[in-house]
Amino acid sequence: MRALGRWLGVHWIGVGSPLLLLVAWEWASATGLLREAFFPRPSTIVVHLRHLAADGTLWGHGAMTLVRIGWAFALAAVLGVGVGLAMGLWRRLREGLDPVFAVIYPIPSVLFLPLVSFLVPPGEIALVVTTAVTSFFLIAFTTTHGVRQIDRLVVEAAVHYGARGWRLFATVLLPGALPFIFTGLRLGLGFALIVVVAVEIVSTSRGLGALLWLSWQILKVEDMYATFFVIALLGAVLSYGLAALRTRLLPWVQDVAERSG
Amino acid sequence: MSTRPPKVVVSEVSVTFESHGRSVLALDRISLQAHAGEFLCIVGPSGSGKSTLLRVLAGLLRQSAGDVRIEADRPGTPLTAMVFQEHALLPWRTVRDNVTFGLENRGVGRAERQARAREMLAMVGLTRFAQHYPHQLSGGMKQRVGIARALANDPEVLLMDEPLAALDAQTRTIMQEELLRIWATLGKTVVYVTHSLEEALLLGDRIVLLTARPGRVSQVYSVDLGRPRGLEVRGSPTYGALLEKIWSQLREEVARAVAEDRGGEHA
Repeated sequence: MRALGRWLGVHWIGVGSPLLLLVAWEWASATGLLREAFFPRPSTIVVHLRHLAADGTLWGHGAMTLVRIGWAFALAAVLGVGVGLAMGLWRRLREGLDPVFAVIYPIPSVLFLPLVSFLVPPGEIALVVTTAVTSFFLIAFTTTHGVRQIDRLVVEAAVHYGARGWRLFATVLLPGALPFIFTGLRLGLGFALIVVVAVEIVSTSRGLGALLWLSWQILKVEDMYATFFVIALLGAVLSYGLAALRTRLLPWVQDVAERSG
Repeated sequence: MSTRPPKVVVSEVSVTFESHGRSVLALDRISLQAHAGEFLCIVGPSGSGKSTLLRVLAGLLRQSAGDVRIEADRPGTPLTAMVFQEHALLPWRTVRDNVTFGLENRGVGRAERQARAREMLAMVGLTRFAQHYPHQLSGGMKQRVGIARALANDPEVLLMDEPLAALDAQTRTIMQEELLRIWATLGKTVVYVTHSLEEALLLGDRIVLLTARPGRVSQVYSVDLGRPRGLEVRGSPTYGALLEKIWSQLREEVARAVAEDRGGEHA
């Protein structure tokens, strides 16, 4: 309890700002400032959220979405880090792939669904691959940059002290790129969630995106918001989880802002 | 001094850089020697190629002409180990793992690595910081790690590239005394690049003065100030006279370098 109190003492802004927003929303809907038909009070939404959880609807759809994100993120992470490292290490590969990536990357991922469906079995696999596309590019970009920004002097010193080939990669180039790789993974995970919801809306009847869209179409606005909250919460948990993992795994990274603050 | 065998023999070494399609001569037929156990300082104006010369000795840069020979007495140990100006530690390794890095790359066993790290960290006074990461240390402490890392490899020749230039004046003074103590303990051959004449006079057995671009050997001075040496040496008349003598020569070189830079701007 005291630990919680101390934690709140440090993080009160982060906890307080979303709470304040919810209170303001509650008040605006209750006083009629917002139309309750479209903006139900958060307290009403919570009641619906409990119903959805109690009858299992939420768990079924939620699990579906989580599994898809898991596969898509794993695919994007493995390929993105692999290709990113290769591009960071080999100039010719980078020069060859950069323009291709630059053209494909800005295309909204959902638009890849039909294309992907021609290439891989349509259905779940196509859905997962489509979800992975944008995440892959983000992770590959940040990983490439991660390798390229390593201090040349540090690499030179490592070579001077006998690190060559695989050892140079494992002890210098990979760890040097890791902070950026983690940033890429965090961005990629966030985008996987964004894209999976969008793909679920257009292509399937199961998953949080589908639940949200269905609720909207049959005007179960409270259920729509409830799903909305779950998606938002999922995003926050995944993002902070990965950030916590980074702090745990990379204790040597110093935070510039925190240091000067 | 000439009775001692030469450890480092540099003969007629030139280095040419390619820059914007033009070749620039950085070092012009440098010849010098360092004897076994000698503390040799190299000074010169900015752009005289002091660091370039050190990089050639370290094997990080290949000379365009000439020959570098370093006598290896003990097989299995590296010829050189360099202490870099900006310390160049691996940020993701603890102090201890930075010190053992070279040994690890050479396949030295774990027990021996740890023993050497303990010994070297004790020598530079960082025993308590073995598990710290570089970003948790002050500038002076980082450079101590850099020195411990180099010494852990037990090189034939210790190369130091303005190792104290980035430190504040007080820390630098303390580190100079530390260096004298460590050098007296280990008796290593040291080639030490600095832009500070005072530092060269305090540390060195001999001082090699390089000319402004391209770097040539202008003069070699013997520092006859006795050993062991401490900061009090700065009060002696010999020190003052030598400082005056080298500085008058160096001033000319600096003035020439500045004039050349100005000329370059207008060209």
